[in-house]
Amino acid sequence: MLEQVHWIPLIPLLASLAILFGGKEGPHSKMPLLGVAAMGWCLLQSSWILFHALTGRYALPYYHTIPWFSYGDYVMTLGVLIDGPAVVMLFVVTLVSFLVQLYSLGYMHGDPRLKRYYAFLSFFTAAMLGLVVSSNLFVFFACWELVGVSSYLLIGFWFEKPGPAYASKKAFITTKLGDLGFFIGLMILYTQAGTLDLSMLAERAKLGIEYLPLEVATAVGICFLIGAAGKSAQVPLFIWLPDAMEGPTPVSALIHAATMVAAGIYLVARTYFIYDAAPLAMGAVAWVGLFTALLAATMAVVAYDIKRVLAFSTISQLGYMMLGLGVYGYTAGLFHLTTHAFFKALLFLGAGSVIHAVHTNDMREMGGLSKRMPATFLTMAIGTLAISGFPFLSGWYSKEAILHAVYLHNPMMWLVALGTAGLTTFYMFRLVYLTFLGQSRDHHRWDHAHESPPVMTVPLWTLAALSIGSGFLLEHEGLFAKLVSFESGHGGGHEAAHAPVWLGAAAVAVFAAGLAAAHRLYGRGDLSLAKSLRERFALAADALEARYYFDDFFLWLVSLSDRLAAAMHWFDDQIVDAIFVDGWALVTRAVAEAHRFFDDFVVDGAVDGVGAVTRDGGGVLHRLVRGQVQEYLMYVALAMCLFTIILTTR
Amino acid sequence: MGILSVVIFSPLIAAIALLFLPKEKTSWIRGVGVAGTAVSCIASVFAFLAFDPGTTQMTSLSIQLTEKLVWIPTFNIHYYLGVDGLSLPLVILTTFLCLLAAIYSCGIELRVKEFFFWYLILEVGMVGVFCALDLFLFYMFWEITLVPMYFLIGVWGGPKKEYAAIKFFLFTLFGSVFMLLGILAVYFASEPNSFDMIELMRYSGTWSREFQIIVFLGFYLGFAIKVPAFPFHTWLPLAHVEAPTPVSVILAAVLLKMGTYGLLRVSYGILPLGFEWFLPAFVLIAFINIVYGALCAMAQTDMKKMVAYSSINHMGYCMLGIAAVSATGFNGAMLQMINHGIITGALFMFVGVIYDRAHTRDIGAFGGLGAKLPVYAALMSLACFASLGLPGLSGFVSEFLCFLGAFKAWKLYTILSVSGLLVTAAFFLRMLQKVFLGPFNEKWAGLRDMNARELISVVPLCVLMVLFGVWPSFLIDIMNPTMTVFAGMFPGLFQGLR
Amino acid sequence: MTLAHYLAVSSGLFLIGLFGALTRRNIIGILMGIELMFNAANLNLVAFNRFLHPDGVAGGAVALFTMAVAAAEIVVGLALVLSIYRTLHTVQAEDISLLKG
Repeated sequence: MLEQVHWIPLIPLLASLAILFGGKEGPHSKMPLLGVAAMGWCLLQSSWILFHALTGRYALPYYHTIPWFSYGDYVMTLGVLIDGPAVVMLFVVTLVSFLVQLYSLGYMHGDPRLKRYYAFLSFFTAAMLGLVVSSNLFVFFACWELVGVSSYLLIGFWFEKPGPAYASKKAFITTKLGDLGFFIGLMILYTQAGTLDLSMLAERAKLGIEYLPLEVATAVGICFLIGAAGKSAQVPLFIWLPDAMEGPTPVSALIHAATMVAAGIYLVARTYFIYDAAPLAMGAVAWVGLFTALLAATMAVVAYDIKRVLAFSTISQLGYMMLGLGVYGYTAGLFHLTTHAFFKALLFLGAGSVIHAVHTNDMREMGGLSKRMPATFLTMAIGTLAISGFPFLSGWYSKEAILHAVYLHNPMMWLVALGTAGLTTFYMFRLVYLTFLGQSRDHHRWDHAHESPPVMTVPLWTLAALSIGSGFLLEHEGLFAKLVSFESGHGGGHEAAHAPVWLGAAAVAVFAAGLAAAHRLYGRGDLSLAKSLRERFALAADALEARYYFDDFFLWLVSLSDRLAAAMHWFDDQIVDAIFVDGWALVTRAVAEAHRFFDDFVVDGAVDGVGAVTRDGGGVLHRLVRGQVQEYLMYVALAMCLFTIILTTR
Repeated sequence: MGILSVVIFSPLIAAIALLFLPKEKTSWIRGVGVAGTAVSCIASVFAFLAFDPGTTQMTSLSIQLTEKLVWIPTFNIHYYLGVDGLSLPLVILTTFLCLLAAIYSCGIELRVKEFFFWYLILEVGMVGVFCALDLFLFYMFWEITLVPMYFLIGVWGGPKKEYAAIKFFLFTLFGSVFMLLGILAVYFASEPNSFDMIELMRYSGTWSREFQIIVFLGFYLGFAIKVPAFPFHTWLPLAHVEAPTPVSVILAAVLLKMGTYGLLRVSYGILPLGFEWFLPAFVLIAFINIVYGALCAMAQTDMKKMVAYSSINHMGYCMLGIAAVSATGFNGAMLQMINHGIITGALFMFVGVIYDRAHTRDIGAFGGLGAKLPVYAALMSLACFASLGLPGLSGFVSEFLCFLGAFKAWKLYTILSVSGLLVTAAFFLRMLQKVFLGPFNEKWAGLRDMNARELISVVPLCVLMVLFGVWPSFLIDIMNPTMTVFAGMFPGLFQGLR
Repeated sequence: MTLAHYLAVSSGLFLIGLFGALTRRNIIGILMGIELMFNAANLNLVAFNRFLHPDGVAGGAVALFTMAVAAAEIVVGLALVLSIYRTLHTVQAEDISLLKG
């Protein structure tokens, strides 16, 4: 199965093409089933691989390439590089994709463009899987961009509405901005190392500093971090993600749980040897992660759109992962990536179920839904507990691991991270209270709410089970750490060191504090206390609701570039074209005028003069001619005589 | 009579045959016109099959399918044709796009006979430029392209066609005059006097640096205007906007490539010292082309003008690749030439399609067409994504190679130029959003989707975009040996770049 | 009889012919004068042949040519005269000045 791993991205790709070009479009199209089936096969294959990798039956990493194209003497390869993180990612991506596709059968039921939706969904997954397995950073980058464009297509799926149309463009451009950093990093790396093949690069990095000098590693690391910040929605490029909620909710689950946003984390993980060689870049990863985690968590506190709260929470959790990676907690960061994929997919799909039932995103119009949709409520509650770090659920294990690594690296950072964990608990329970508990605030919607069909709840329960159990299972006997670990050449070894015992207790205490605060503010189901608080801290709340004005900053950048473009166009039209070209033409014409003057009066004058002389001379001679043949004959005779005289007297 | 002569002159034969047809028989005329380009295209495919790319270990250029006849013995002028990995892809591109644009031209109703006559003559000139290995012949073909283009823009163009045509004509004529001086200079500097390009490449070591610089500047004017390189680019948006759709396609897809081809073949190949001297300025111009072209494109409200400015941007990538003076950069530049031909050709056709129906090209005038014209929207989006360098489509690999090659030589300029990629993405996506997405503008309820003629001329290009994007070896394998040899041809020069 | 005699006769003939061609009013007369000049030339040719190259026949041959050309010329000339007479009803040279611009 491992040797056939290249089929895991290829099958969804082929399925996507088949769905796009085959079958009939319409709400009753049968083509979606093909997408689900393809995903199911991929899930089976990657589960098989994961199982065998966990039990140690496969010798990892598995590496296989074929030549793609060559330029000069360099051969660019297409290939697979399957190591521990790749195996885990394969499983996570295929699982979440499969469940999302299954779920979409219910959620997208009746959409007139169902076929197209499934084609895009399969393509999206294919791109992400290609990114996961690729052995070459160039192919990685290619898939990375394809992930970007398929997210563009999916976020803008309901393109008739202006919101999605705008959001899709924003997502693409913002991530593209990050991609430029990635691109520059690739160029630096290639120029220095002469290859983009990951396994070769890793070997060269091991060989020592002459193959990967410190400044090059730092530059590449920072550049890749910019790319990762774009895809994984880190500060300051996170602005696209909240807007990306305009897409269909299953797409949000797919993008935010398993695929697109994980790509940035995965990039840092795959090129970890570069960061390992560049402490500065590593530090940047940690700080960016920390800031993102904190800022996003605070923003989530004031949001009322259920999907936006989850979006901010995603950003915050991604920040956590970055933080984990940045403090040399390689295993911890990827562990959190894995568990987060389960409970965040669960939360999004649960939110989708709620939206499907009440047809609004605004939590202020919900409340008391637990009675109408118990299954959704229960699974969402499990997801909330997991993300908040309730002991022995999956999120607890991974978050503990990260906090552990952070504490050993820098206790101040640990403090901030701990506070963020408390905020996470607070806003997640706020979401649960506002949505499911208390009294209904909109009876009309409440009356129409109903539990979702099994095709939607089955994925929820599956994910709920994983959210509960995956942490324990993977932590058990250090299974995950065996599969996913990194032998650091520098400041590693933190993970082995022991931290104080009270670390875990502090995390639980913070969890309790967050829960208590949420209960105090929203537990009664009315918003009066929250509103009065909001008024008291209006300035801070405004800043939070405006997302710390990052959006405004980027909008300002856009308008600036627009103005720059207009200025350039003006310059082109009025200066380059008008002065240098048309002006040149004017000068030429002026010179031509001068020439014409000269022509008319001097050159032409001379010509005309000759003409006039000839004409006047002709007038004189004209009189000699009277049409008399004999006169002419006489002239001839006289001329003859003249010639004869001249000839004979010479 | 070699295969290259067939490629060059079959359109000419068709053009002469056209003259004997009565002008009322438009369907016959269209048939003969398309047939002439088709024969040329098929012949170029045969030339491709007969061509052996060689290996990267070659020591000299492998010129193949040569035809050499004495033409004017007094001045040592030959009818000398031949192709290598540099010119063959361009020949095929030319004949192929001429065929597709000829099919598209069947929609033209005004003065059909004259149109196809000039169109075929234009093709003769363009193919000839790429095949000619004698500078005199090269110059002759170069000038042949000028007159048909003048008429094609001036007669069948838009509202400001006369102005655009005369501007195009004067601009290019201005350039080619200096090129002629350059040609004469190298002719008299060689001993014995020769126009043979391959022969002249060997003189580069003997000519002094000053001589090469002066002659280079002469040639550069000619080529830079065609490319078009800043600040000689202003004829292009105007000519593109005013020209009829098939002519815009040819203009963008093929005519611009004559400039970059000349830069590689003549400026670099024959005058390396001059090229080396000019290189710092050249890379700056490439950078300006990229960023400035992209920004100007972003400011446009006319779709066709936007695509025209994006051409300036894309030819900037090409120049950046050339400035790398390495196998990577040259391969990238060549790929970019072909891909730009395919992609921008398709984009101009798409703009033409919507203009034929709506009689406006204003980006703001549309909205939500994605629901009404699904096929058109899908194909045009594909072309836009290819143009902004999406992986899996042809633009990606070529842009990547151009940048990768250039980065090694010119770090700062390359990093700055990367911003052009973002701006390109921005203006294409903005156009897609305004035209295809959002609420449907009821004003266009009567629009029809693409018809068979348009699909026949556009779909092959879209297929090629995907094909070359997924498997670029099809293209690179033809050109890579030549490019590798070409890049290593002057081992003593360009030291700072390697 | 020496060559000089022949030449004297022929120059006399020529001058008479020239005088006639210049002075006669009638076109027919002019033509006759021209004929006289032809014959003066013929006489010259034959005489030179006889005295300078007694063995050759070139002079006589050219004289024969000249006679033939003169005959042809007089045919054309008389035809022209007839045509002029028919259209202008005159054969007086001074009345015919169509060439005057």
